Amino acid sequence: MNLLFKSYNFASYQCDRSRCFYIDFGHKTVKLSFCQLLSLRQKVQKIDLDSHFDKDLNYSGIEILTLCNREHLFILDTMQVIEMKELIKATFGMLELNSLVTHS
Amino acid sequence: MKDIVRQKIGINVDIMDMLNEQISKEAHSSSAYLAMASWCDHNGLTGSAEFLYKQSLEERDHMMKIFRFINENGGTAYSPEVSNILHDFNSLQEIFETALDQEIAITKSINNIVAKCRKVQDFASENFLQWFVHEQMEEENQFRRILEMFDLMGTDGIALKLIDERIKHGE
Ligand SMILES: [Fe+2]
Ligand SMILES: [Fe+2]
Repeated sequence: MNLLFKSYNFASYQCDRSRCFYIDFGHKTVKLSFCQLLSLRQKVQKIDLDSHFDKDLNYSGIEILTLCNREHLFILDTMQVIEMKELIKATFGMLELNSLVTHS
Repeated sequence: MKDIVRQKIGINVDIMDMLNEQISKEAHSSSAYLAMASWCDHNGLTGSAEFLYKQSLEERDHMMKIFRFINENGGTAYSPEVSNILHDFNSLQEIFETALDQEIAITKSINNIVAKCRKVQDFASENFLQWFVHEQMEEENQFRRILEMFDLMGTDGIALKLIDERIKHGE
């Protein structure tokens, strides 16, 4: 398995053999197809961080993230959301870089 | 490391995001025209209403074109939520001015994606978007011609009825 990015609590990997991706959430690792990874990316990108700093918009300051057609469920606090956004951004950055290297 | 992403998706991922935003914008346009058509229907301007119903359908077609393009190329298209639809207008002229402004905003948005396609060398998406570049030019001109009728003929009773007739026949 190839490590794509590692943050404090999370990590992302690509597995060439299964042609899949893995996200290590710290306490649990989830296997994702590319399609599911895209869906995670969309969900994480859509999270409005500003609302975490507004009591009226997001009182509890948490986000519920469901993955792979609700097979997995994660509850993230503000810090974890920030970290997850960073992980997604860096992971796709790495994948783009790999694409450049592979097909240049 | 294999390039699994490229094996799965034929278009650039950031372009896919922009195309998904464009889906939302086309859906918004479609609903906006529907609201305008409703106003025209309620104000006895059946010719314009008919024209706007047709516009609404066209915008939905645009949306579907992009939707399918994303999915066919291995991306994921997202079904849009539509909000902020304006239902209040003061005149038919205001409706067509609003419509032209909306089309100009869409043109800018399409151009913006084309520029990004060139930057990331996603020529497949750029090629796909050329149809939209051309379509936008035609749509803008269509609304410009309609607004010119108001300039020429005025906006009172008889003139309005005449303009409404002409709009119906796609003048
Ligand atoms: Fe359109
Ligand atoms: Fe249009």
